[in-house]
Order: sequence, then structure tokens, then C-alpha cells
Amino acid sequence: MHGHGMEGCPGSRMQDFRDNKETKGDESGKRASELRQWPIQLHLVSPMAPYYQKADVLLSADCVAYTVGDFHRDYLKGKSIAIACPKLDEGQEVYAEKIQSLIDDAKINTLTVMTMQVPCCAGLVATAQAGASQAKRKIPLKSIVVSLQGDVLSEEWVS
Amino acid sequence: MEEFLNKNIKYIIAQYPEVGKILERYNIGCTTCSVGSCLLKDIIEIHNLSPEVEAELLYEIERVVFPGKEVKKRPLRQRAVRPQGEIKYSPPIKKLVDEHVLIKRFIALIEPLCALVDSSKEPDFGLILDCVDFIRNYADKYHHLKEEDVLFKRIGEDLDIIKVMLEDHTTGRNHVKQIIEGARAKDKAWVIEHLKGYKELLTQHIKKEDEILYPWIDRGLSTSDVGKLYVEFSEKDASLPDDFQKRYQDFVKQVEDTLNKRR
Repeated sequence: MHGHGMEGCPGSRMQDFRDNKETKGDESGKRASELRQWPIQLHLVSPMAPYYQKADVLLSADCVAYTVGDFHRDYLKGKSIAIACPKLDEGQEVYAEKIQSLIDDAKINTLTVMTMQVPCCAGLVATAQAGASQAKRKIPLKSIVVSLQGDVLSEEWVS
Repeated sequence: MEEFLNKNIKYIIAQYPEVGKILERYNIGCTTCSVGSCLLKDIIEIHNLSPEVEAELLYEIERVVFPGKEVKKRPLRQRAVRPQGEIKYSPPIKKLVDEHVLIKRFIALIEPLCALVDSSKEPDFGLILDCVDFIRNYADKYHHLKEEDVLFKRIGEDLDIIKVMLEDHTTGRNHVKQIIEGARAKDKAWVIEHLKGYKELLTQHIKKEDEILYPWIDRGLSTSDVGKLYVEFSEKDASLPDDFQKRYQDFVKQVEDTLNKRR
């Protein structure tokens, strides 16, 4: 991996992965999408939507799906999703309320938060925890952090 | 060797006692198990050994089982192994581990309690029956039934490792019956024998669950399973009186204080 200039915020620092990209895994066949809903952006989704009721929900930072090669097969499959960017999205105060509503109204089974390793992304886990702490119901909440090249750095239950 | 991997550990240790010593060196405590019905291959699987350690263990066992035969180390079996070190549990399994904390505090009181009973001319058998209430309602009805009604059913009651745990529960209940009989007969030795038996049993039982069984169960649970287990455990908890936890925490604290004053 080669880093190029632009010191400062790790979330926006330029990095070039082209030189160490060798194809790994089986590239044959066509993968079907595991997405089972629309919309997906957290501002746009309604916790009342049928696909959230009692579901295992994946709250993913926007960049994650571009980073993890088998995102659909390994993480999205079987789950309903919402995506958000804790760094750039506006009006994030409603995010915690939406998560609270997913837990209390949609009675979701679990919430898995996938974020990038960059520090600003941790804000999404904090938002999810804030929503969960406001909710009357308690559910298991998992945090998965992925590297800039799509490797899982940590996967743990946080509450 | 494949044939041996499919034999139960009691048979293997009876035929080759050295295998029991090897397992002990790898912190696999099958020699003290009262049942011993687990298959060797399941024991190796459940202990989350690294591929290197697993290959070394099998190599040592194979040399004992087939003396004189040239034994080669097996190729490393590549699979996901959870990092060793601090055990991290999923939320529903963590609930069970947390319940063990109060039970272990109670177990730590059994030795001084036995000493008190032994040294008293007129032992407080009422206190013994209060302890039985803790064992029956907190350790057994509240905690063990959560395992028996929910967790073990989901994992599979026919699995050997689960049968071992269920047998421990039955043995514990038998000790409790004997403690009650002893207390009613005001027989100090009878009470002490079964209090100590219960202590030994539960100490090993909790260690097996916290360090081996629960991490193994966690490795096999899907995210969805974790959510469903959490709901089922929460429903069990919600069916109890609001002051249930506090009542038994207060009881253990009260016994701790009583025994501390007498020391």
C-alpha cells in the first residue's frame, strides 16, 4: 500500500491500493443481489416498513459496501439494511430516533453496525448506541469494523 | 486413528490412561468428568485449539494409542479459530455468565458455612434451608432452567456435551435433596457432606460452561440466533417478580456478612 501526501484526517487521506490488488477467491459465476428493500438511506427509510419488522438489521456506513468484496453474500444476506455517513450526512439528530423506533416499533431482532476503520466512522456506532439506549426494548448490538481494503478488523457484540 | 476419534473419551482413557494425562496438559479436563460420553473428535473441536496445537495434541495421542508405529503429524486443519485470551460472549450468553457471578459468590461461602455448622453445638439449620432456597430458586429454577428450557433445546439435548451438563444439573438436585433431608434430621455430617458435594460439582460445572461450553455455543450462533435467544431469556426474566435479582443478591450479601462476623 502506498500513501500519498495529504496528511491530516485519516478519513479523507489519499491512499492508492492499485499495486497490491491481486484477484483473490473465485471470480466465476454471477452473484445475485441480496438487497431486499428500497429505499436504504437512513433519512429515507421508514421503521414501519414491513421488511424491518422483527428483522436482523444492518446499519452500514456508506463506504463499507464498496470496500468489502463479498458484502452482499457475507453481511447483507438475510438482513434488512439502512445506510448512513456519520461524517457527511446532515440532520443526524433524527438517526438515533429512527434507530429507537426500529427497536421499539419494528421490534427488530438484532442491529449490526458496519463501519470503516477511519475515526469519523465510529460516530455511527455511537449513534446506534444512543438510539438503543433510548429504546424501551433491549436488543443485541454488534459492531463490525472493516479496513480500507475490506478486511474485517474487529467483530464484537457491544451491548 | 479415525476410529479412535469417534470413540467416547471414557473408553479411551480407560484403555489408555496416558491420554487423560495428555489432555490435562492441554487444559482439557475430561479425566474428572463423571459421564465421559463425549467423542474424542468433539472434545478437540469444542476446545477451540489452534491448528498447530490441535495437530500436536493428536500426534501425542496417536503415539500413545499406537505404540511402536511410526506416527506422522497431521497436516494443519485450516479453520476459523477465535483468538485466545479474554472470552467475549454474545449478549444472551453473557447473561448466563453474569448469573454465574452471584452463584460463585454463594459457592465461596459453602466452606465457611460448613465450618460454622461443624463447630456449632446447635447449628442454624434454618440458615441451611435459606441456602437451599437460593440454590433451588436462583441457581436452579432461574439459571439452570433458562439453559434447560431454552439454550440446550436450541443447541440439541442429544449432544454428548449437553448430556454431561444435564447430568450435572441432576446430580446437583440430588445433593440439594440430601441437604434438606440432613437439615430436617438435624444431622450435621449429612448436611456438610452434600453441601461440599454441591460445591465441588458446581465449581467444575461453571468452569466448564464459562470456558468451554458457552464459547463453543457462541461460535455456532448466527446473528439471528443471538437475537432470538436474547428475547427468550428476556421473557423468562420478565416472568419473575421485579425484586427477584435484588432479593437473592441481598441474601448472598447477608450470608457473607454473617460468616464474616463469625471469623
